[in-house]
Amino acid sequence: MCGILGFLDKTKNHEHSSLGRTLLKMLTALACRGPDSAGVALFGPSTNDRFVLKVKLGNHGGAGLRAERLLGLLKSLGAGGHEFSTVAAYARFVVDGGTDLTNLIAAIESSDKELEVVSVGRNLEIVKQVGSPANLERTYGISQFCGTHGLGHTRLSTESRVDLSHSQPFWSHGRPDLAIVHNGHITNYHKLRRLYQQRGVRFYTENDSEVVAIYLSDELSKGRSMKESLHAMLRDLDGSFSSLVATSTQFGFVKDPFALKPLLWAETDGFVAVANEEIAIRSALPGDYQVREAEVKEVRVWER
Amino acid sequence: MGEVNCEGRSTQEINAEIKQQIKKGATEILVRNPGARHNLGVAILERVTIRLDGSVGYYCGGLIDGPNFEIAGSAGWGLAESMMNGQVVVRGSAGNGAAAAIRGGTVVIQQDAAARLGVSMKGGTVLVAGNCGYMAGFMGQKGTIIVCGNAGEAFADSMYETVCFVGGRISELGTDAVVEQPSGSDAEFLDSTLAHHLPPDLRKSKPAGRDFKKIVSGRKLWNFDKREWKTWQEAL
Repeated sequence: MCGILGFLDKTKNHEHSSLGRTLLKMLTALACRGPDSAGVALFGPSTNDRFVLKVKLGNHGGAGLRAERLLGLLKSLGAGGHEFSTVAAYARFVVDGGTDLTNLIAAIESSDKELEVVSVGRNLEIVKQVGSPANLERTYGISQFCGTHGLGHTRLSTESRVDLSHSQPFWSHGRPDLAIVHNGHITNYHKLRRLYQQRGVRFYTENDSEVVAIYLSDELSKGRSMKESLHAMLRDLDGSFSSLVATSTQFGFVKDPFALKPLLWAETDGFVAVANEEIAIRSALPGDYQVREAEVKEVRVWER
Repeated sequence: MGEVNCEGRSTQEINAEIKQQIKKGATEILVRNPGARHNLGVAILERVTIRLDGSVGYYCGGLIDGPNFEIAGSAGWGLAESMMNGQVVVRGSAGNGAAAAIRGGTVVIQQDAAARLGVSMKGGTVLVAGNCGYMAGFMGQKGTIIVCGNAGEAFADSMYETVCFVGGRISELGTDAVVEQPSGSDAEFLDSTLAHHLPPDLRKSKPAGRDFKKIVSGRKLWNFDKREWKTWQEAL
């Protein structure tokens, strides 16, 4: 089933925005759609052209030791690693804008097979873990996060493992500030995966949702706009899906050609909210506004 | 008039209180702050009017037989699914599968309906003042679908004896769906149905009965053995 949601704050009061609180309320309303894991992709204030990296410190304990080794590695690489901190399963640090991210990520992930760079962005930070939205809040305090927009996901695993890496949102692994959440089944996943693997793309999971992020990253790299990329997804991805995507400046959704997965959206002067159950929008955002169901093959993109 | 406030209460508690008030003799119940909760007012079998002053989630008014629902907001998936009799009016739009598998009664959606409107209907009438999405009327066996606006792809696919009317454009007809010229009595039926169920201002903006297209089954997909024909006729 899975719960997916997104929220864009259209007010300009981002320093004191309620982004984290709103996403948590929406996520909580969709907890019953996905008891296996919960996660959010948060787009915060700009880091002055620097990149924030979130690194998973492993699924099997030993996070403290790995954090120390990671910090040592960053120093030895001269990568900066400013504001290095750890919370539960994650290390978070900031690197300068000119850093060669491809080499840095390769160095981090090859130093220990348990390490995985979960997100990279000037604005993006992904936090996800096994368990409920309440657990996510207890561990990471996501309600305190201020920012412009974000995505959320509650997962009911149907085909792949239940662990942090297989949880959503997915970062595109390679393109900073691109995150997706997805509900559905990509039936040509294995075919697409083989095609990308032949081109050297690394897959971190066996979750078909991962290919959505890789696909969109690839389309955007060809110079296509977000809207064009989402329309292309309707042509190239088979199956039933509702997906949300966000970058540092854009936020959008696509609904499959069979209209098999629910997706609803609402827009007011103050916000855009999207979720696969209206209850998630209503419970987080009181007021008098209309919630619409996305149409078959509908694509929408908003600019921040 | 009875009143039920949904705030801070579970769907089970809300439905139990609605049923309790009906038992005590309430004929009109105002359900406040529904907050898009799922499964509100399911399986109500009494002739009671239930007004919901906001949006509702999945399966509102499902499995009912007799009541009159008025929903001030929009409705999620499966509105009035498998309804036997009664009336469900939505001021806003309705999600996927509105009026799916209804056996009787009337569903009125004053704005738009999403995909799979009235699929597998076995009776009753569903009226949409706006547009409807993909695959409306799929495998409909009986009953009437009226869409005043445009209809999406695969419209009226693989139908049996449901009759559809569309006031606007049809993106694409489904398999075995054929367009017929509506008769004079069809136009009269449409005019009187729209006048009865839509507020006058809304009715004014909709096509006249004679301007609707009529869509029925081409019966090319039917595959009944003649020995079963009598049984089939009786079932209809």
